[in-house]
Amino acid sequence: MPRIEDYETMTKISLTKEERGIVSGHMNMLLDSFKELGDIDVSGVEPLVSVLDITNDMRDDVAIKTLSREELLSNAPEQYDGYFQVPRTVD
Amino acid sequence: MGLFIENYNISGADAVALEDSIMEKGRGVTVGSRILKNFVSPFNATVVDRLLDNGFKIAGRANMDEFGLLKLSRDDDNMPTGAIRAVSDDVAAFSLCNDLFGRYRREATENDCCYIHPTYGTVSRYGLVPLASSMDQIGIVCKDLAQGFGLLSYISGKDPKDGAMFPESTYDYTKPAGEITLGVPKSVIEKADVDTQDAITEFIDGFANTEIDLEHFDLYSRVMYILSSAEISNNLSRYDGIKFGYRASNFSDLEDLYTKTRSEGFGPDAKSAIIMGAMMLSKDQYGAYYERAMKVRRLIKESIKFDRYNVIVLPCNIGDDPYENLSLYALSPLAGLPSVSFSYKGHGIQLIAGVKNEDLLLSTWEVCKA
Repeated sequence: MPRIEDYETMTKISLTKEERGIVSGHMNMLLDSFKELGDIDVSGVEPLVSVLDITNDMRDDVAIKTLSREELLSNAPEQYDGYFQVPRTVD
Repeated sequence: MGLFIENYNISGADAVALEDSIMEKGRGVTVGSRILKNFVSPFNATVVDRLLDNGFKIAGRANMDEFGLLKLSRDDDNMPTGAIRAVSDDVAAFSLCNDLFGRYRREATENDCCYIHPTYGTVSRYGLVPLASSMDQIGIVCKDLAQGFGLLSYISGKDPKDGAMFPESTYDYTKPAGEITLGVPKSVIEKADVDTQDAITEFIDGFANTEIDLEHFDLYSRVMYILSSAEISNNLSRYDGIKFGYRASNFSDLEDLYTKTRSEGFGPDAKSAIIMGAMMLSKDQYGAYYERAMKVRRLIKESIKFDRYNVIVLPCNIGDDPYENLSLYALSPLAGLPSVSFSYKGHGIQLIAGVKNEDLLLSTWEVCKA
């Protein structure tokens, strides 16, 4: 059985003891239900990534004006001198 | 659950409520989550631009479950979602929302409303907060399906800002649909309560119909949960407290900032989906779950042939367990098919048609209303 704690580290989420109990309950129920998938013969079947039969529609390689620096920074929890501000990452 | 997160006090036949997942320039967008606390949208979703360009008005921002996620835990809040209440209470004529897991499609039928889930790739997702990108689809809550399809004709059609769309610039939902033959999955309908079964029997009597088998039906919910949780886990990885949204106030370093922000910002259903999704995508589990689910998704899509029939009839409820009910609502997003749900003689009915065959759904509804 996979350990929830490993996935907490991976997803940068720290669960409380109570939350871990809830998530663990969901996980056990879901993993148990997923066993039925193992009975299906999928040999030779290609995975379905998108339901559309069309490929991604790429636009022309032409520069367009999108959001300004001010607009992009307007939702930043912290900013400094026109940049996103983060804690010190290099000692 | 309150009706609006923000109420603009606009009502009437041209008033449209937006689920709080659809961007509207200069307005707060929370997706029902603390993780987007204080976020103000710098742009309009394409559907919002198209509504405004065609004379509609925005009634307000409707309350929602966090990210519209499936609630696996018991929920004591029995109030319908804001988008449903806005229409059922006649505050707005329409609501737009992203119904991945069926809550809106079910609640519409329980609250004198209808729901239109359009064909995937016909309504732009630009400006819809992404949840499960291969299935996200803006739909419409309305009182009358003919009016709902009228609204859909304004918001659907190719948008260069969404890279996964069909090429048509407009769709005509009112063209004559031709002969309708209902496909009736008896073994699924028998899971509903007796009164619902009776209502469906009465409903199908008005049409040519044939019994069909929905192969893998019990697996629809499993495949849907595996694939959606994987996509949700990816899409929700952008919430890191750096560029926008909530940031924890006390942290020791960058790693601690990420972890505290996400732990404080997400609710239990989001955390469950993120952790399950990460597991589905992890090296050890990928083949057994995610890849296998993508293969079964293909089998499911290819099993719906629309050969002897062109509209599938389903109930909207087969019990109290939201996870088991999910199989009723998973087919449309898994196969990209359009559906409508509405109440017939007091019981919820869902109709599903082939890709871009919404006209069949409207025609079927019109026959039963006549």
